[in-house]
Amino acid sequence: MSELILDRLRKEYGSFVAVDDVSLRVEEGELVALLGPSGCGKTTTLRMIAGFIEPTAGRITIGGRDVTWDPPYRRDTGMVFQSYALFPHMTVAQNVAFGLEMRKVPRAEAETRVRRALDLVRLGHLAARLPRQLSGGQQQRVALARALVVNPGVFLLDEPLSNLDAKLRLEVRVEIRELQKRLGLTTVFVTHDQEEALTLADRLVVMDHGVVQQVGTPEELYESPANLFVAGFIGRSNVLRGRLAERGRFISKGGLALAVPADGMAPGEAALALRPERIGVAPGASDGGVVGRVALVTYLGAATEYRVTLDGGETITASVPTPRPGDPLKLVSAGDAVTLTWPAESCRLLAPGPGATPDEGGL
Amino acid sequence: MATAATTAARPAGRRAEAFSLGPFLLVPASLLVVAFLAAPLVVLFRYSFNRYSPREFMIDAFTLENYARFFTDAYFIGVLATTVQVAAVCTLVSLLFAYPLAYLMARTESRWKSALVIAVVFPLMVGNVVRAAGWMAVLGNEGIVNHLMLSLGIVSQPVRLMYTPFAVYVGIIAVVLPYMILTLQSVIEGIGRDVEEAAANLGAGPMTTFRRVLLPLSLPGVIAGGTLVFILCMNAYATPVLLGGPQFKMMAPALYDQFTRTTNWPFGAALAFILMTSTLVLTIVGTTVLSRRMHHRKLEAAPR
Repeated sequence: MSELILDRLRKEYGSFVAVDDVSLRVEEGELVALLGPSGCGKTTTLRMIAGFIEPTAGRITIGGRDVTWDPPYRRDTGMVFQSYALFPHMTVAQNVAFGLEMRKVPRAEAETRVRRALDLVRLGHLAARLPRQLSGGQQQRVALARALVVNPGVFLLDEPLSNLDAKLRLEVRVEIRELQKRLGLTTVFVTHDQEEALTLADRLVVMDHGVVQQVGTPEELYESPANLFVAGFIGRSNVLRGRLAERGRFISKGGLALAVPADGMAPGEAALALRPERIGVAPGASDGGVVGRVALVTYLGAATEYRVTLDGGETITASVPTPRPGDPLKLVSAGDAVTLTWPAESCRLLAPGPGATPDEGGL
Repeated sequence: MATAATTAARPAGRRAEAFSLGPFLLVPASLLVVAFLAAPLVVLFRYSFNRYSPREFMIDAFTLENYARFFTDAYFIGVLATTVQVAAVCTLVSLLFAYPLAYLMARTESRWKSALVIAVVFPLMVGNVVRAAGWMAVLGNEGIVNHLMLSLGIVSQPVRLMYTPFAVYVGIIAVVLPYMILTLQSVIEGIGRDVEEAAANLGAGPMTTFRRVLLPLSLPGVIAGGTLVFILCMNAYATPVLLGGPQFKMMAPALYDQFTRTTNWPFGAALAFILMTSTLVLTIVGTTVLSRRMHHRKLEAAPR
């Protein structure tokens, strides 16, 4: 296993910048997820690491060796493709053995390693099958075994779960994480699914328009998004636009004055991000909170969402544990007045700018 | 329940409709094949057992002497050998020439791709005779090639290029190349680029990737293209006649001579069936050997 370093990696197609000076250090044994909407440059970045795309500028180092201009077959990466890309004319065992054969591993040793790799993904009994005789989940695991058996310096996964159904996706996700931990694999994982990224990764890299928006642990990204894009892309956020009148006091465009944490930003134009699940809802209008009218109640099982229109015309969505029978909140429906409360430290002040959520204010 | 029953019944009803219409759609093509291919072949096959007489033209008989004559005459055995050799060499060479181009065409994302396809298809719009005439202008003693070699001082006298086996090979390969390219291209297009990338990712260089992944996966295309081209070569007529001259004899021109020049229809018919049978047998042998190889590899794989 080795450390992977991307140094101002850049890819241009004509005047289009697909990847814009991405720098990243993936520690030994770390799993980093590249996350972003389609076209954000995450797959291009991964393919540059694998060597399928030549960067326009920048450097890629694997285990201290500069591989920027090496062809894919001289890089020490093991890739799992979105389509699995199994060799259809070879059996499962031959697929897995291919990389060892290329490395001229002696036959006896290769056979042992193939068997061990297949046992690792619980497919030992299907070694003699052809890929087309396997289910999607099994093919996926063959692809994993094929990439892992060569002990790659860097393990690359390109949306490996996107072709699986929901239930299988969860299973394979856990399986990948366990394998990665057990083998201490330096891993880069590309996905557009934030839940997948949050549950799998040690650290996340959120990308948009080829630019890294933020790098951090799942918790860092969720609790302290660096900008409106991250606030809207990782989990959901209410966004209120307005200005910071003075340290600790935010006034929204709708005229709402709110107490906010007094750190960081200087007074001026600002946006305020607020997680729906940090907001409490009480029936009726009362002081000590923000009053509004319920526009929509959405029952989600464990939680219930209240979309509330404030007097200033802004909307805020609150997500609370579904009230039990007898709770006065249970009787609240569209048109009723409610009071919203939240601790001031739940508010996150961000630079005003384009956000990821088109529906401003109400998620 | 009722809706479920109707939705379940509908596809079945539709299928029944398609079944009842199907055979009728085959009628025109079937009639055409029977009238213009099967029937003449049956008649011709019968002719091949007749006896030839210079005065009476053809005498009804049931004799194998036409076939016997072919297999005892070194000249005609030689014609068949030449034909097989030309067909085999041309198939092989066109395969070698076509593969890289077909690969390029299958993989390119350039906007010139359709222009490339048209460039490959375009020669098919020019008839063989026209093309052979073009080759005459290129390869003749006064042709472009000799003119160039003379003016460059490579040779002091024109080199004979026309009416040589070389001219026939060049001419036939040029004719069949588009068929080979298009067949291979469509098969290679069906092979995902990702399997090549997977091979590279696992450490296989371009040559190894070709040998271990691309070639085995494109073997169906090699077989299909090879078969098509081999059959075309075996039956080549215009190109060997126009570029090979009277000394160079292949089967198709030879049997045509029997029909028109010597008016020996029974022997001509026998030649036709010998050509057809040898084409058929060689094609079947070739494809089985190749596809068994493909199959073999899978069987070998199974016990592991």
